[in-house]
This record gives sequence, structure tokens and C-alpha cells, in this order.
Amino acid sequence: MSDGDSGNGRQPGDADERPRVAFFDFTGCEGDQLQVLNLEDRLLDLVEVVEIVSFREAMTEHSEDYEIAFIEGGVATAHDERRLTRIRTHADTVIALGSCASFAGINALRNDQDFERVKERVYGEDAHRISSYPVARPIDDVIDVDYEIPGCPIDREEFVQAVTALVNGAEPTIPNYPVCLQCKFEENLCAFERGETCLGPITRGGCGATCVSEGTHCWGCRGMVEDPNEDAYTAVLEAHGLTTEEILDEYQLYWGFEREQRAVADGGES
Amino acid sequence: MKIIDRSDFTALISELIAEDPREVVGVQADGDGYVFDSLESASDLAFEYDLTRLSPKKYVMPQRETLLTYRRDAGAADYEMRAEADPTGRIIVGVHPYDLAAIRQLDKIFIDTLHDEPYRRKRENSVLIGLTMQDVADTCFAASMDTASIESGYDLMVTELDDEFAVDIGTFEGDQLLESVPTRNATSEEIDRVETIETDLEAEFERGLDFPPAELPSLLEASYDDMDFWEAYAEQCLSCGTCNVVCPTCFCFSVDMVRELDGDSGRQERRWDGCLLEDFATVAQGENFREEVAQRHRHRFMRKGWYIYERYGDIACVGCGRCTAHCVAGVADPCEVYNELREAQHA
Repeated sequence: MSDGDSGNGRQPGDADERPRVAFFDFTGCEGDQLQVLNLEDRLLDLVEVVEIVSFREAMTEHSEDYEIAFIEGGVATAHDERRLTRIRTHADTVIALGSCASFAGINALRNDQDFERVKERVYGEDAHRISSYPVARPIDDVIDVDYEIPGCPIDREEFVQAVTALVNGAEPTIPNYPVCLQCKFEENLCAFERGETCLGPITRGGCGATCVSEGTHCWGCRGMVEDPNEDAYTAVLEAHGLTTEEILDEYQLYWGFEREQRAVADGGES
Repeated sequence: MKIIDRSDFTALISELIAEDPREVVGVQADGDGYVFDSLESASDLAFEYDLTRLSPKKYVMPQRETLLTYRRDAGAADYEMRAEADPTGRIIVGVHPYDLAAIRQLDKIFIDTLHDEPYRRKRENSVLIGLTMQDVADTCFAASMDTASIESGYDLMVTELDDEFAVDIGTFEGDQLLESVPTRNATSEEIDRVETIETDLEAEFERGLDFPPAELPSLLEASYDDMDFWEAYAEQCLSCGTCNVVCPTCFCFSVDMVRELDGDSGRQERRWDGCLLEDFATVAQGENFREEVAQRHRHRFMRKGWYIYERYGDIACVGCGRCTAHCVAGVADPCEVYNELREAQHA
């Protein structure tokens, strides 16, 4: 897709003071932008306070005159990198939308697999046409990111609160408590007690413990809390009978890139 | 003490459900456990429960509540603010003595000390119908904390006796509740039986503090600098805050500002917070007074057994065992921690 200016930017003399907002999609499923569209009635409130100048999933117009860029999806190709860098030069504020943009998310599942095999499995005989980096990365590996709204998909209310903060001159914030906390608020039967394993104890909360409330367990989609006690959590999983390999599998669904980065920061091997 | 037939007690609860403007909530089975929830029928009441997931604290200090709302007309300079204090009281049926003891502590803090309106209104509009324990959770050590039975803090206290209930009247409001059903005065044998039930119950507890809870403040004061002890525990702690939010006496909260998109209105909400959470002791400028898990872990045990005692005169652990039951890492148990500290001190 092209980022060419189709001329829908603000006209000279326009008194519109709403911040101009653009949405961009990179490597991902676009489910987070769908969450924005799913705001339905509240979308009308949203466009009262911001002007949406680019949103491929919702409109044909496009402008490069924007202040706030919401970016969904991770970085997979050289083209992604160039495009991201260009967006950063246009936007005053860049916000990662969803887990792939925030910490590589599901995309990073392939990071520790053989890249040629990954390509073959996904694209079959067309695999040779794919020019992609062997490692999926979050957008802050390429550009500076001001805020993150994690989640797979994002929580609509959290998105609205982030926009509300921005248009009112405040900083968007996300919780740093784990899913367990809200799960206790809901009085759910602990997934561990149901004989399942659950990433809730070290996954960033803010989702209202939706998955556990609906009878499954936490998959870690909002990333880890800022200072997770991974060793303690590994011990919990071991105590519930998981092998080292099974534990790594648990961690790998969303956290492949995040854990590798953390290990490097701690000076150890991944 | 009064005696009421089972059928009359059931009729009383049914009548309250049907006629009292307040919601009637009670202990009910939920999956493998028990919860306090809205009662649709008196027959849903679980008399033989061991422990509910959350305590009835949630009815007087909810997980989230609005303290203040504000708004202004579009374009106006000033906001109008309104203090909110949800007065919704409930008739709460089936509260075990340790949970009554916890609410009594919260009353002292929120009503007598803080004059907290949202709490006071809900509390004063609520009725507490206590229930003598018939089953003891594996993690519960209330007997050793002197909270397995209680002499006050309820409107009515009910003890199941075969096809009848012994009912101790705690307040005038409790007395009035009984007016619509036939009761008779308990005989001395029946009064003895209730006492025997309470005494026999103590033998049902598999766990207990090895020393009188009154010794906790001095024990903890002496253990403050024993960082090896606290760090060893903290290594396994996930710092998830579960022990805090399931505790019937924990009352810490955070206040969040929730704005509406247009910036012209919003609300201030408080929600349960917990001292095990990393950001709990973070203040303006980003300084965190308890950055290390071991500091937070120690803080919780100090608070339960020493700090609250210094400030309000209560040992803030009632021995319900919820923190132990809910901690996936198995490091939240006050009974174990306090006994180990005591043993180390006397070694």
C-alpha cells in the first residue's frame, strides 16, 4: 500500500483544532483497528475530539498531515522499517496499538524457528517470493514510541482512555498490575485450581481478566508486567507438573521477543 | 437467645428477598467454591460452607466505586463537582465470625477514624446476619486468632441446630427483623449446645498460630531487620497482589481520574490496591519506597501483625486463610510466616 498524500489534509484557514490522527497497519491481523471500529456509537464521540485523516480499514482518504499516529502490527520487512521511519518524522506522538506493535506478540512465535521452514509452511511454493526479516520485531525496535496500548486485541476502553488523555493534555497510562488482581476482583475460580496453567500472575492486567472470566486462562496477550518474577513463576509451573519444554511453550506464544530482550538486558543468554 | 424453626427462618429470608427494598445476599456454591452473591431463593443459602472467595467486605468497600463526579457545560470555564457516596446497603446472610471481626476492624478505620462517607453509608444501611462455622477450610486458622467465634459485630448470629436455628440478637435492627416470624426463647440446654458447638469447632482446625496473637507486634518489631528471612520468601513471590485483594481486612485503595472524551466531565474512582504490587509505594517523581519484592513482602506481614495494631489497636489478620488459599506461589500464609519467625526467635 502507498503512503502517498492524496490531498485530504487541512486547508489553510481551517479553524478545526482537533488533533489529526492516522492509523497504520504493519505486520498483524488488523484486529486492533477493528476494535476501534467496534466502538460503534462512541466512534462519533471520538471524531468530535479528533480528526481521523488516515485509516485504511475504515476510509479511502489518506493524508500525511497528522499529529498522532496509531500503529498496529510489527516489523517484518525492510519496507516496514522505511515506512515506520517516515511516519515517525510526520507524527508528534506515536502509539503502538496492540501486542504485535508493542512487543512483537504472536509474530515473534517464528523467531526461534528455522526461517526457511516457517516461510514454506505459511506460503508453500510461493515461499521464495517472500522477502522478510527472519525475526519479527516490535516497532520500538525501529523508532521511538511514545505510548503502548497492548492487548490481542486491544481493550476498547483503554484505547478511548488513551485518546482522552492525549486530547486533554495528559499522559496515557496502562496498568502495571497483573491479570491475577482483576481476576480476584471478579471472584473467578483460579485457572490453576481448574487444573490449567495461566499466565495471569505475570501478565499485565487491565483486561478485566476477560479470558479467565469466560472460562479459559490467561495467554499473556498484554505482555509481561514491568518487573515479572519469572523464576518464581517458572517454579509455580514446575510445581504444577510442567516440563521445561512445556514452560517455554507457555512463554513463547506472545513473549518470544520480549523475553529475549529482557535476557539480553540482564546480560544473560535467552 | 431465640430459637426459630428452619421453615420459619426460610420464610424470613424469603420475605426479606421479596419485600425488603435492599438486596439480600448470601453464601452460595459457585463451582468448586463459595461466594457471597445475590440471593434469589432462601434455598440457595449454603450453611455448611468453609470459605468464600472474597469476603463480604466487597459490599461495604467495593472493588471499584465512584467518589466524585465533575462536569461543566461546553465552553464554560468552571467545573461543577459532586461528591458521590453510594448508600446502597444490603442484607448479608451467612457471615462467618472471622469476617465479622474483619468488618468490625474496617468500621473502626473507615467510620470512627476516617469518617469515610461512601463506606459509612453502605455499612450503616447494611444488615449482617452471622453464621456459626460448620466447616473449616484447610488454610483457615481463625481459632488461634480468636476469631472462630464472636460476641458482637452482627445484627443476628445464627447457629444451625438440626431442624432449628439458635439466633443471638446483636442489635435492635436485628431484633426487629425477627418480629415477623414466630420465635421462642432458648432453653439453657440449647444455649449450652451453641457453646459446645463453638468449643468443639476449635478441634476442627488443622492449623494455628503457635502462640497468642497478642505477641505478634513485639515479634514483628524484632524481625524487621531480618532481611535474609524476608528475601528467602520474596524469591518465590510473584508480587501479584492477590493476597492483598482477597484479604478481608486490607483496605488500601488507589484513586483514578476517569475523563470523558470531551474533557468536560469525568469521575474519580477508587479501586482496591495492594502493597505487594510494584507501583503501590511509588509517589510523585517516580520514587518508590518499597522497590524490592522483599520490602513489600515484609511490609504486608508487618502491617497485619504490627503496624495496624500500633495505629488502631487490632491484629489485622483474622486467620481466614484466603491469602494462603489463593496464592499460586504458596508464600502468602501468615500462619506459617509468623510461626517460623517465632521459632527462629526462640531457637
